[in-house]
Amino acid sequence: MFDNFLNINNWYLFAFFYLLIGFILSKDIYGLIPRLMSTLGWPIEFTQKVFGTKSLPYLFLFPNILIFGLFTFLPLFMNFGFSVTDGTSINFENRDFSGLDNFARITQEVQIDTGGENVEDDKFKAAMADTFVFVILQVPIMILIALFTSIVLNREIIGRGFWRAIFFYPVMLSPVVVAFLWTLILKRQGLLSQTLIDWNWISEPIQWLVDPSWTMFWSIFVYTWAHMGFYMLILLAGLQSIPKNLYEAAQMDGTSESRVFWRITLPLLMPILLVVTVLSLIKAVQAFEELYALQVGWISLVSYIVENAGIRGQKTFFGLGIAAMASLIVASILIVLSLLQFYLSRRQVKL
Amino acid sequence: MRKSILLTSFLALSSFGVNAAEIKFVCYQDANECDVLQEMSSIWENSTGNTVNFETVGYDVVRDQLENLLESGAAPDVARVTNLGGLNKYYLDLTPYVDASAWEKNYGATLPWYRKPSGDNGIYGWQAQLTVTGPYVNVTMFEDAGVDMPEEGATWDDWADALRVVKSELGLTAGLAMDRTAHRWAGPAFSYGAKFHENGTPILVDDGFRAFAETFVGWHAEGLMPAEGWPAGAGTAYKNAAPLFLDGTVAMHMSGSWMLGNYDKNITNFEWKVVPIPCGTGGCGAMPGGSGVVAFNSSKHPEVAASYVDFLSQAGRAGYFAANTSNITAHQGLQKAGIDYSSVSPRVSAGLATFAANAGKAADSTPQAYWFQGYNKNFAIYGIVPDYITKAITGEMSLDAALAAIDADVAAKIAE
Repeated sequence: MFDNFLNINNWYLFAFFYLLIGFILSKDIYGLIPRLMSTLGWPIEFTQKVFGTKSLPYLFLFPNILIFGLFTFLPLFMNFGFSVTDGTSINFENRDFSGLDNFARITQEVQIDTGGENVEDDKFKAAMADTFVFVILQVPIMILIALFTSIVLNREIIGRGFWRAIFFYPVMLSPVVVAFLWTLILKRQGLLSQTLIDWNWISEPIQWLVDPSWTMFWSIFVYTWAHMGFYMLILLAGLQSIPKNLYEAAQMDGTSESRVFWRITLPLLMPILLVVTVLSLIKAVQAFEELYALQVGWISLVSYIVENAGIRGQKTFFGLGIAAMASLIVASILIVLSLLQFYLSRRQVKL
Repeated sequence: MRKSILLTSFLALSSFGVNAAEIKFVCYQDANECDVLQEMSSIWENSTGNTVNFETVGYDVVRDQLENLLESGAAPDVARVTNLGGLNKYYLDLTPYVDASAWEKNYGATLPWYRKPSGDNGIYGWQAQLTVTGPYVNVTMFEDAGVDMPEEGATWDDWADALRVVKSELGLTAGLAMDRTAHRWAGPAFSYGAKFHENGTPILVDDGFRAFAETFVGWHAEGLMPAEGWPAGAGTAYKNAAPLFLDGTVAMHMSGSWMLGNYDKNITNFEWKVVPIPCGTGGCGAMPGGSGVVAFNSSKHPEVAASYVDFLSQAGRAGYFAANTSNITAHQGLQKAGIDYSSVSPRVSAGLATFAANAGKAADSTPQAYWFQGYNKNFAIYGIVPDYITKAITGEMSLDAALAAIDADVAAKIAE
């Protein structure tokens, strides 16, 4: 009987009892509309009465903090725990405390467990170096293209909405779809090699994604293609927030286009440009999905972490600890970048 | 009297209620294995009153998530696994629940694969299928190129010579493709004399290993092996070379018996067959392996789970499973008696016979293959070898440096 009552199909019964309780509790309220509102929102008013007005915001925040804590802070502490322990298990009771051994395993020349040559440090440093090259090239290139595109799309051109949609479209694609599309073009028998062979530009097909001299170029190209639209949109919003009267005044003074750009557009866009730079820096350091699905010929920092964590295949005794330590190092880089953003934003505001 | 009837009925009902258990079976499916197991399970369910709840999943779920489930206490009662030795600590020892002597007699060759490295005589799992690595050949390409296939007992070098001619005659991209894992690489390496271990301790790089590594890198340099194969993978990632065989990029695919069903179903535009494993100075090396059904020690119904695995392992059921999934049985009695594969196509039947012979040759000439299969950390080695050999192929590292790194990395990965 009670089970039957709790059935979701009995929603009208719930609604009836909810309103009945509200109607009884609001008996002291006069006026049709206020009483109706109190009848509908009685849980809020009741909670406010019990906990007081000041405590109410914290009460509302509590569920969010609980969920946020569970899914954000708990993994953060667990990650730290993994980085200073060894073992294949994810249960801390089955892991041995190892202090900074995992840091030594990914940074020292001598392998601390075997006393022989360490290769893990080479792998980690290679992942750091390759990711650094990727970030240093990809971010400025993407921002320049995004800036140029947003300036063009901010002008009165034919089909402006259509072009904006076209440039934003890749952002909506799943990283796997992006990788699939570009694999069709860039694999050895893909569209690009075949076209270049047809034009007699190359005689042999090139494995663009694997060839060491091309893999970074195409990683940057595809990643920029996939993400540029997002930053373009932010910059476009920034451009539209610049007061029109400044441009009108410049026009009346006969200021050249380039001077308008350097003296009005760029300085006023700088705060947005700063946010875009730091956001894209953070995103580029975290680059993984597209590169993983494209099977590029280099290992990014996040790929290195995934590879060691034992997420794929059999776990190794030190793998999870090494992955956790590497992720802490990546987190440190991201914290520095975020603080930089914070500092520069404050500086901009002061200026 | 009436009272006693009531009491008896009550006891019978309550005992049925206590014994009737539900067990969960996480089963990965390559082709139809779980369907066949489910079919077999219904007989056991009807006779015992217990229920098997099947959860059919992809291989990657068992490979990547099962261990986490086992650690977090969310494990199933029974699962179909391939990392036989690696998950040993979670297995339920079936010895108290089964006829141990019968298991030793019928599965004695594969039981050690599930055990701890030393001093363990437990019975942990039913080897449901025996897989063996070996090459598939595109017969149509050989015929079109007018090249005779090397006979049984031919070496890898003989096959490489033949494939070079096929490649050049037909203008192919490459001649031979191999899945990107040391599991496929090991067989040819054994043939070149690689020992892989010394008294149970893995020592990968020896003269034989080096000889095959040099040959393998050379095959890539000359274009006999495709850039879409090993060089197209980064790090320890596995890469299946079957698409290269299916689309006619290569004339030979070094794979294994598990691909028979797939190729039989999907290849319609050329003739193919399984050829005897090529040999070398070290013997005729092929890697045995396969999947097994195990019960876990976290099960709330260990007796029921053990009885279920025992039921599946009986000769009749093992034979039914092998015949209906086109697999080689690990039941030693059935291996001698032979399985009736009349329901499968002639080329699958011929392929199974060739693979079974490959397993026999490997057991005789390269016993290290069986050691490597039973080594409980072999999965780590499967990824390390392609990682560094790929770097030698692409020129990122010299071969000497790559081989030294393989030894160092294996030593670090197996250290505890």
